[in-house]
Amino acid sequence: MTVKVRFFARFRELLGTDIPADPMDGATLLSLVRDLAQGKKDGYDAIFDEHGNFHEFVIVMRNGKRVEHEDAGAVRVADGDEIAVFPPVAGG
Amino acid sequence: MLFGEEGQERLKKAHIFIAGAGGLGSPVSLYLAVAGIGTITIADLDVVDQTNLNRQILHTDRDIGKKKTVSAEEKLTAINPDITIHAIDTRIDESNAARLIGNADGIVDAMDNYPARYLLNNIAIHNTIPLFHGAIRGFYGQATTIIPGKTPCLKCIFPKAPPKEVFPVVGVTAGVIGTVQATDVIKFILGSGDLLTNRLFIWDGLAGRADEIHAERMACCPACGGTNPEKGGKKK
Repeated sequence: MTVKVRFFARFRELLGTDIPADPMDGATLLSLVRDLAQGKKDGYDAIFDEHGNFHEFVIVMRNGKRVEHEDAGAVRVADGDEIAVFPPVAGG
Repeated sequence: MLFGEEGQERLKKAHIFIAGAGGLGSPVSLYLAVAGIGTITIADLDVVDQTNLNRQILHTDRDIGKKKTVSAEEKLTAINPDITIHAIDTRIDESNAARLIGNADGIVDAMDNYPARYLLNNIAIHNTIPLFHGAIRGFYGQATTIIPGKTPCLKCIFPKAPPKEVFPVVGVTAGVIGTVQATDVIKFILGSGDLLTNRLFIWDGLAGRADEIHAERMACCPACGGTNPEKGGKKK
């Protein structure tokens, strides 16, 4: 199974982008992004809180559809999925 | 001709409110002024500081210490004396936002924080005025156009504000995003082209790449009611 994870803005600086991943069967959206961010503390901390959940401001989309945070731990990724993870950019 | 006399007349009759005379407000106001938007209201409370000058191209070294609204009015009037500029020296807040915006034809979000943006979003929804959103950080920027009742509102796309932070912006990012916002304002007034509706334009200046993300209305958006306007919508 191959999926693509795209980080944007600050997350991109910290973690890169357009990352191809080959998750295990049964991987959820939350576990996939966690696994990718593990090992890059700044990137992980930018996206996840101390409980390993997405920070409330983080936007997560799967194939162009928003995934609510409370569902991210249950939504299983499928072959060909494109996951987008981004923060609201704030400056002006 | 690009849009002819009729188009130019539409621009002349238009009134656009620009919230902020900083990084985004600079290119937005300059390009709307030279396009011939007949009335521009621009609001800001700040004073020009030297640290602004890397990106706030409405202001110059000579303006340091001057109110941004004074500086803005001087520049915009100089670049197009045939339009009306209302430069209002104030902080936009709940007590004055609706009055400041009045019956403008469009609101440009050139703010630097989400609480202020959510306020503009609420006024836009309540008074059914399009909101042209833009935001920048470093080499990154984003923009979208919100047509109340038809497209996702800002709260649908970004339900929660990010934590406050101070992060430098390279001036060209403000230029890219500000001109994208101004382009959509002009297209909206002219009724031409495809607006940045239902999608978030994302600019990565480091990669030299633009992306867009599909945006949808939130089912029960606390600001606009989303796809269930009776459950929380603020529309009239």
